[in-house]
Amino acid sequence: MNSVDTVVYLISSLIAISAFYIQGQEFIVSMIRGQSVQSVLIAVVAFIIGWQERSYDFFILGALIIVLRAFLVNYFLQKRIPKEKVYLYERKVSLSYLFLLDLIFIVISVFIIYSIAFSGIVLHSFLGNSGNSAVLVFPLTLFFQGLFLIASRRTTFTQIIGYVEEENSLVLFAMFLLPIPIIIEASVFLDVLALVVISSIVVLEKFTHEPVEELRG
Amino acid sequence: MDMITLAETLTQYFFVVLSAPLYAGILAKLKGMVESRQGPSIFQPYYDLWKLFRKVTIIPAGSGVFFKYIPYVIFGIYSLIALIIPVLVPVPIYFTASGDFLSGAILFSLAAFLKTAAAMNSGSNYVALGVSRSMSFNFLSEGTLITVFIAVSLLTATNNPYTTNAFLVSHSLENLSLAHIFSTLAFFMLFFYETGKIPLESPGVQELGMIDEGLNYEYSGKLLAINRWSSYIKQYLLGSVLLNVFLLPWGLFSSSPYFLLDIPVMIAKWVLLILIVLVVETTLAKLRLFRVLDYLATAFTFSILFLIFAEVIP
Repeated sequence: MNSVDTVVYLISSLIAISAFYIQGQEFIVSMIRGQSVQSVLIAVVAFIIGWQERSYDFFILGALIIVLRAFLVNYFLQKRIPKEKVYLYERKVSLSYLFLLDLIFIVISVFIIYSIAFSGIVLHSFLGNSGNSAVLVFPLTLFFQGLFLIASRRTTFTQIIGYVEEENSLVLFAMFLLPIPIIIEASVFLDVLALVVISSIVVLEKFTHEPVEELRG
Repeated sequence: MDMITLAETLTQYFFVVLSAPLYAGILAKLKGMVESRQGPSIFQPYYDLWKLFRKVTIIPAGSGVFFKYIPYVIFGIYSLIALIIPVLVPVPIYFTASGDFLSGAILFSLAAFLKTAAAMNSGSNYVALGVSRSMSFNFLSEGTLITVFIAVSLLTATNNPYTTNAFLVSHSLENLSLAHIFSTLAFFMLFFYETGKIPLESPGVQELGMIDEGLNYEYSGKLLAINRWSSYIKQYLLGSVLLNVFLLPWGLFSSSPYFLLDIPVMIAKWVLLILIVLVVETTLAKLRLFRVLDYLATAFTFSILFLIFAEVIP
């Protein structure tokens, strides 16, 4: 394993930890900021891959992530937080219980999916030189943590952040896996931004959602 | 009988047992200086132990045999651990072969279990409170302790702490590997819990903050002194594992006459650890009692997560 690999692995594990940080927060503001930090870390991974692969696409991608995810999504969500004190945080977040469930969830889902579907995939030359695709565990972990965040909380804000976290994981996945044309990535980013803007208006109508409430009819 | 190994064994054992209260004294002194007090002497823990040894021991009516004799057993267990992990001399000594890392962790768990059993045996309500507290936190801390030790053994594919120490000294870059960094972090968090440091437990016998002290509530005189001394040894053992296997594996001498130099080296390492503890203790506020569980869950999450990543990533 060379030193660039090590740096990529370290930053990727920090991304997984940032997801745990978001999962453990009660205050909505700190969750939103956690999401910003996570996006910046993903942008750093993009810059490293761009520098390794000598490809400008990754630099543009990283810049887009910082501008759209870390700043604009953060800005729109923070603007929509109601001013009343009762809405600033979610009560009864039992962190220890959530962390343990999250761990179990990650272990089961990531390992089954990784070992069935992704273990044979070939990556960028500098990441896959040891002949395996283990780095794909990180985006998968992040994806399931986003999913678990949506399922475990009631606040609509938190569920939006869980959704953004899932999108982050897809970006990370795409960066590790294969170079996607930058125009597609950019349109996906704008899509998510529009969705966040729209759903932050929905928040004004209904502050909390039970996960399966809307399915009951 | 190999005289050098015997000398190393005796040095290690007596150094651990006799110097263990010193570090608590140094910490109290430095803390006093930070808080603009003169602070107690660094030998205050020894004076306290000496005073307690001469006092009358009161056995509560209704307490059982466990209450009276278990403190000695616990002292014995910590003495055994002091002989099987590299807390002073970085080469195997007598008794080293009797256990590995995991058995060290299990002996710590055994001592914790016996301590609660003996405390329950006193039949006091206050002690029952302390027992229920420590039991509701210990299930996570023991899990972390065992997982962290397994995570470290993954580096060398052996469960022998001496091999791990030698490996980390000779392969300096492995200290920066993912598994090692995060198991160090988890063990560091665990060290604060196990030794009752401030974000988790305020020292002294205030009822609101006590977890481990609650178990000593009914003890007095000689038995209390032995319990205290065992706690000091436990703190030394955990701290030395943290220093020698996780944080700073370098600097220990193994050849024959030089192993005596390990004593000043270990004290210097401990002063460094005490400075870190001092910064944490004087800057953070104590967590509310039910938040301790969150703290331990975080440590446990770190250890499990990086056990997994260490196994998956080449």
